[in-house]
Amino acid sequence: MSQAPLGEEREIKFLGGTAIDGAPVAYIVVLAAVVVGLAFVPLSAVIGSGKSFPMSQAIFPLIGWILGPIAGAAANAVGALIGVLLAPHTTTVPAATVLGALLGGFAAGAMAISGSRKNWWMVAGAVGLLAYAAYAGRAVLQNGVGIVPVILGSFIDWSALLLYLLPTRSLAARWIGGKDLGKLAVGLFLGTWMVAGLTHLLSSAIVYYALNWPAPVWAAMAPVAPIEHAVRGIVGTVIGTGVIAGLRAIGLVKPKYAAY
Amino acid sequence: MSDMDPILTLDKVSYMYPRSTEPVLRDISLQIRRGEFLGLIGPTGAGKTTLCLTLNGIVPQFYGGRFFGRATVAGLDTVEHPVSELAQHVGSVFQDPETQLISTSVENEIAFALENLRMPREEIQHRIPRVLDAVRLSGTERKHPHELSGGQKQRLAIAAALAMQPDLLVLDEPTSQLDPVGAEEVFAVVRELNRELGMTIVMASHAAEEMAEYADRIALLSAGHLVAVGTPEEIYSQVNLLEEHSLRPPQVAHTFYRMKGNGLPIHDVPVQLEPALKSLDALRSDCQVVPLPMQPEPPARSLERLLSVKELRHVYPDGTEALHGISLDIARGEYVLIVGQNGAGKTTLVKHFLSLLQPTMGTVIVGGTDTRQLPVSELARRIGYVAQNPDDQIFNSTVSDEVAFALRNLHYPAPEVETRTAEALQAMGLLEAREQHPLSLPKGDRARVVIAAILAMKPEVLIFDEPTTGQDFQGARYILDISRQLHQMGKTVIVITHHLYLMPEYAERVIVMGKGTILLDAPIRQAYHQVELLRSTFLNPPQAVLLARHIGQWQGVDLPLLTPQEVADCLVCGPRQGQVP
Repeated sequence: MSQAPLGEEREIKFLGGTAIDGAPVAYIVVLAAVVVGLAFVPLSAVIGSGKSFPMSQAIFPLIGWILGPIAGAAANAVGALIGVLLAPHTTTVPAATVLGALLGGFAAGAMAISGSRKNWWMVAGAVGLLAYAAYAGRAVLQNGVGIVPVILGSFIDWSALLLYLLPTRSLAARWIGGKDLGKLAVGLFLGTWMVAGLTHLLSSAIVYYALNWPAPVWAAMAPVAPIEHAVRGIVGTVIGTGVIAGLRAIGLVKPKYAAY
Repeated sequence: MSDMDPILTLDKVSYMYPRSTEPVLRDISLQIRRGEFLGLIGPTGAGKTTLCLTLNGIVPQFYGGRFFGRATVAGLDTVEHPVSELAQHVGSVFQDPETQLISTSVENEIAFALENLRMPREEIQHRIPRVLDAVRLSGTERKHPHELSGGQKQRLAIAAALAMQPDLLVLDEPTSQLDPVGAEEVFAVVRELNRELGMTIVMASHAAEEMAEYADRIALLSAGHLVAVGTPEEIYSQVNLLEEHSLRPPQVAHTFYRMKGNGLPIHDVPVQLEPALKSLDALRSDCQVVPLPMQPEPPARSLERLLSVKELRHVYPDGTEALHGISLDIARGEYVLIVGQNGAGKTTLVKHFLSLLQPTMGTVIVGGTDTRQLPVSELARRIGYVAQNPDDQIFNSTVSDEVAFALRNLHYPAPEVETRTAEALQAMGLLEAREQHPLSLPKGDRARVVIAAILAMKPEVLIFDEPTTGQDFQGARYILDISRQLHQMGKTVIVITHHLYLMPEYAERVIVMGKGTILLDAPIRQAYHQVELLRSTFLNPPQAVLLARHIGQWQGVDLPLLTPQEVADCLVCGPRQGQVP
């Protein structure tokens, strides 16, 4: 700034009274509507259930980064709930879709928060650990599937969980919050890999308990699931880079816990 | 609170948009009294819109960023009170009426904000007729807003703001998108609200003549600074200050400022027409009218008729007859100005040249061929059309792609596309911006991108449809300078505009249209002095023309003067020096 202003700097607050955890309700409604819209678009067939998953999975993390952990989880859950009702062709077990969406928003929103909420990411990490234990445990211990097929078939889940628990979580959050558009895109891909992976992990665990797919499916999933997950990452990156660059350019009030 | 108490106080207000490193408002301190009409003037980018948005809390509450100092409206700090509360004290009306109207009927439009504030139904029903009466829209309650004219839509937006019974009405360039009739309607309503109902008004506008007449005080903003505040006489008489900030004074002020510079005994520079005419009369006994210096002859034009319409009649599908059998010839190399009120048929006429509309009866001939025998693509090659808003014609991601787009689609060979694109970019001074996104450029440059894309087609004719609407003085001059440059390159130029005061330096011939007919087709010096005829089609002759006619009446002669400088130069005080031209 060429010359410091004479007046005292004021704290700017969102005063509309219609905000959830620092995110205007209008933002939550709009983003939930986007989730509903994308719920109609099938992204790929899922080997295990024979059904498809919606493109909205790719933006669950983005919504968490825009709105923060609570508002992001709320927008995702509301959008996913309406989505499974209006577009049942892209869901397998509705509860799994909604809970996965909720976890995705929370996990993404918790990645970049400091202060009193700096450890909130551990909640998402713990849910992920429990879900993986239940998921792989049922396969190996209860259904007698070999460890290797389970590890290969759940590559996207454990890799996402690992990346989320390690400092790569903070690295991705830092890139998403930075000004460099290239790093933003890489951060979005990395972040979408880990957060959408957690969503997938929780949803898959629930679906596995509900449908209990046969052992050969694990091996069949091994080469396909990473490709599907990479597509989620690419879609999340393409949409996320445009949305975040646009939000920065138009300069709307940022939700209190936004990561961008 | 007494009338002398300020309704609005700005104390050292500075504001930076998010991710901006420089404030767009810098240390603004200002008070506005209840019942006052404050005019806000400044070039594009001065911070006028940001200041208007500060008054209702949208800045900073909606945009975020950094806010310094204190803004208080009706005793409420705009940072500490929500926009919904401030909206009950500050009514806002913006530039484009189309973007403000959302309901399906006029009465629903007015009720919308009140319903959002959970006002009782009876109170809403009580307020609707009152505000419609105040803006002279009674009887339109059940109409769809889209059925209203531009001026009526803007008055509806004012009515919706008034329904909140605000203490302060903020209008941000409310007339810049309107034709002269619409602008006059809006100014008349605002004046009535201010003078008869005592409403406090803050209005940003480039309409210098109207602001000089209606405002109590003028605040001049430039680069975020409050440069000067004073009465219209104090501000508009400082022509050098206005020119320094790329602003246009009212033509009477400009004329008398030049007269003063010529050594005429002018004490106070008038800023309104009536006082200016009285000041002129005071000079009559001491001053003489001198001949207009010989104007350079316009270069000889080709007699080849490039565009012709014969008995052209056009009836739209809804039955509206927009053109009533008009005939017209435009020669190669002419610079033609087409003027007339909205609905006069100007755009309908030029769209026939491009075959965007087909004649109901009559013929349209381009370069000797009936347009019915020419494909639209061929006409697009020969005639470039620059629409009112350049952004509507931009859709590529680089300036270079935008300019090359039509050439590629017309299957020109790649080397020719490259050559023509480079030539057009160079002609418009855009070579350095060739890889930038067109929408990242300033508005004046975006207009140049559109013109470059048209130039690349090497058209014989360029049509500028309302190129100055929504532009400030500098932006309007910039586009018109480009049109002159193209004319000097030998192109035939047709400009449609309501802003007559801008055109004397550019146009040679004026076609005045009204209700689908040609009312007058004459050289500009002749056409601008047909004052009654211009007024019959709701056009305001420039004040310089009115001053010239007033001076001419002293000796019963016509002074075909057009600009403040010409009028100033036609008077000399002292010994008789010449004869009337």
